[in-house]
Amino acid sequence: MSGSDINRRDFLKFMGLGGVGAATLSGCDMPTTITLEEGKEKVVAYLAPEEYAIPGIGVTFASTCKQCPSGCGVHGRVREGRVLKLEGNPDALNGKGLCQMGQASLQGHYNPDRITQPMARKGGALEPVTWEEAWKLMKEKASGAAQGRSAWFTGTVSGHQSVLLSALNKAWGSKDHYVYEAINNAVGEAVNKSVLGDAAPAYRLDKAKVVLSFGADFLGTWVSPVHFSREYSKFRTGDRGVLIQVEPKMTLTGGNADLWVAARPGTEGVVALGVANVLLSKNQVDGKQLPQAALDVISQYGVDKVTEISGVPGDTLVRIAKYLNERSPSLVLSGESAHGHANGYQNAMAAMMLNVLLGNVGETIEASNSMAFDELKAKHGNSKAMLDFAAAADAGKYDVVFFTGANPVYTAPDHLAMAEKVAKVPFKVALSMFPDETTMAADLVLPLSSPYEEWGTSVSPYQPTDAAISMSQPLMKPLSAETKSLGDILLSMLKYQGIKDYEGFDDYYAYLRSELDGLPGSVKAGKDGDEFWSAAVQRGVIKVPTKAGSLKVNLGDVSPGGHQSGGDYPMHLIPSSNQTMYDGRNANLPWLQEAPDQITKIFWDSWVEMHPKAAAKLGVKEGDFVRVESDQGAVEAQVYIYKGVHVNAVAIPVGRGHEEYGRYAKGNGVNPLKILSSIVDGKSGELATHATRVRISKVGRSEELPRLGGSEVQVGRRLVNTVSADVFKRTEGA
Amino acid sequence: MFVSNKFLSKRRGKGVGQGKVSQCLAMFFSVLASVFIVAAAQAEVPNAKPPTGTHSGEDVPQPIEFPHDIHADINGINCMYCHTYARRSKVAGIPPTSKCMGCHSIIATDKPRIKKLTEYWENNETILWNKVHDVPDFVHFTHEKHLQRFVFKNEGMDVANVSEVCAFCHGDVKKMTVAKKVKPLNMGFCVRCHEANDGPSDCWKCHK
Repeated sequence: MSGSDINRRDFLKFMGLGGVGAATLSGCDMPTTITLEEGKEKVVAYLAPEEYAIPGIGVTFASTCKQCPSGCGVHGRVREGRVLKLEGNPDALNGKGLCQMGQASLQGHYNPDRITQPMARKGGALEPVTWEEAWKLMKEKASGAAQGRSAWFTGTVSGHQSVLLSALNKAWGSKDHYVYEAINNAVGEAVNKSVLGDAAPAYRLDKAKVVLSFGADFLGTWVSPVHFSREYSKFRTGDRGVLIQVEPKMTLTGGNADLWVAARPGTEGVVALGVANVLLSKNQVDGKQLPQAALDVISQYGVDKVTEISGVPGDTLVRIAKYLNERSPSLVLSGESAHGHANGYQNAMAAMMLNVLLGNVGETIEASNSMAFDELKAKHGNSKAMLDFAAAADAGKYDVVFFTGANPVYTAPDHLAMAEKVAKVPFKVALSMFPDETTMAADLVLPLSSPYEEWGTSVSPYQPTDAAISMSQPLMKPLSAETKSLGDILLSMLKYQGIKDYEGFDDYYAYLRSELDGLPGSVKAGKDGDEFWSAAVQRGVIKVPTKAGSLKVNLGDVSPGGHQSGGDYPMHLIPSSNQTMYDGRNANLPWLQEAPDQITKIFWDSWVEMHPKAAAKLGVKEGDFVRVESDQGAVEAQVYIYKGVHVNAVAIPVGRGHEEYGRYAKGNGVNPLKILSSIVDGKSGELATHATRVRISKVGRSEELPRLGGSEVQVGRRLVNTVSADVFKRTEGA
Repeated sequence: MFVSNKFLSKRRGKGVGQGKVSQCLAMFFSVLASVFIVAAAQAEVPNAKPPTGTHSGEDVPQPIEFPHDIHADINGINCMYCHTYARRSKVAGIPPTSKCMGCHSIIATDKPRIKKLTEYWENNETILWNKVHDVPDFVHFTHEKHLQRFVFKNEGMDVANVSEVCAFCHGDVKKMTVAKKVKPLNMGFCVRCHEANDGPSDCWKCHK
């Protein structure tokens, strides 16, 4: 072999042969004392094992992932009393799939920063206390709260936890339960409710031939990503569906799109109107589905005007319209980057208008079959809840507030001054697994068990076809004896309040058994108590009857709303959410911190995505620090230059920049949510997360970006073989 | 309780053979093997060339001085009666205390070691044994595969003589009281035996 024509693979083969031959295993006879400490390790024998427990062989149990509100079913592999690996439960909505957040939720369970005992604020600092002291404090400070002077602030809740929460609030004479999710589809739900009469209809990606998505990152964070990923694979196989993504920053879904269009942030509705205009005028689509008012608005948005407002070229609009016209049925979605504006509701309404115009309602948008048990349904969060809470706390409405499953002190923008407003509440109780920002601001901290240590039921907020209750069961014994499940704490509180209905139950498990026993015979399919319970726990889901829904069409005003210029702040800020950090709750999981961002391949830190033209104008290169300043404050991070962001926008990922939240999260990166301007969506009252304008300036420092790969080209290594379209057409005859 | 089929189903695998190694490598190894392997196969285990090499391990004190000789030699109890997981799992497993008590709630209850055992059992305490045989974490060793090859799928092999197979790597445990490490259990020891017995020689078979 001459040196010039040996490639890497041959070299390795050659070295492999030579290496083994030459060494003749001489190095392999080193004593194992180098790698092992003989006789120092313990080996624990079972006392009296279950029949199925074989050391070294895993047994799987079904449970439910709580890492995001989707509530996917999981199978956990348990070996020697430890849960080791999670996969999707094939019987659940997510099927066999489980996203990286779910996979990493084991690191939440085993996290070294978990709270292991109750803590109470003594002289300014949180100090460990016993449960007796904690309950004593609850008795003194909380149970005496006057009628209506208490509130709960939670993330998405469902199932029997939700039932107990409602009962507790009723007992305390309070109606206030704030359900908050920083990443939500509340604007879309408001439009769905108004137009279709169904806040969460079934989106049938699998039936669609073309999907036009205005910023709905359904493969990343939108509504139920694992479920949609499965539907997406059906959409892409066979007669391959076309995906068009209109958004200012390339999301994971945008990266998969056939056509990715960078519209000026906030003008998604205008683009939708422009597409409708082309469909009606050029493609002769019948407009009789639309009310006259809508047709009048559409007629004002000719191609030239739309191009001027949105920056989307006319031929792109024509191309989108052509796809939509030629391939039916289609599906038009809108998500975060379209909703997060002062005119977010109008953007979502314009997208819905396209669905109506193209006849998708009833085809690819179907009525959801909502589950029969209303009290168990998910209370899905939104960001208006946080704004409302901030106002109420500021006005001194509460004596006691309970926080669980939400971290408003971290996710709230600085203009809300959430920490100060929370501090105004005289007694704050955090029920939490981790020392996050909100927990550390509390007066009493009650340690929660992990989702894999407790019994429970939950219901997914998005249940398109079948309705199901998802079961949680302990996959292993609690790692810490002092932690309690939320259900158990709620039950104890109810019992303390002397509510008769709950006095007979020793613990949450007993309550759940009794509740499930009380389900109607149609759900239990003729099985008695124990048999039904075993089947439910084994399968992980209980299929329940549904109420068939129906859709109406009542399109509202589709006018796109005003578009303001930025003045001193020329650029748009896009706080982009992704499937690693989500809304920041995953920042304490090292697996997700070190998992490279799917688009930029950066990890462990924050970055600012800039278009090459914008970077050239500012005179920065990759790795340079820039200051991103809004009217509310500034953050500094390194620049990542690429074309997947609108030329007048910068994108900073959400989820890092924690001030608390354990060793892996604290002090890493910046939090772009802090500098959001105080803009809300006019119609729904949701926080307009994508409406902030910023100016960018150089800081003058530069460092190498922590980034996997580090190169955008293959350097001749042919890792992915490609042919140009011309060659393909010539040789494959397409 | 739910038990996934995939963990209960029999492991696939051919036992012996090295289909994936190139012919050239196989030939090379067989030549190499003939240089090293001098020991003749013992009569009790057909179709096997036992590994060579010795090691002088330290005495490892145990919470209860378990006498292997009384059980396996004098009373002739099969190794797999107690180490029941060996043929099903990667680890042979220390027998659960319930297994000990199965006999010792009746047999030899007056002996001091049995009294100690009973004390553990009655207090619901697990016994923390000190590990004698171990391989590093980067080595995937499975008892199940080795027992399949040398015992259950080995023509002419009598399962009653399984202790001879165990002795390949653990020495003559039935002559010991508390087990002691008498074989090196290092990579050279493993690889030479694999070569002599046509075991797989892919790196990833063990390092995965």
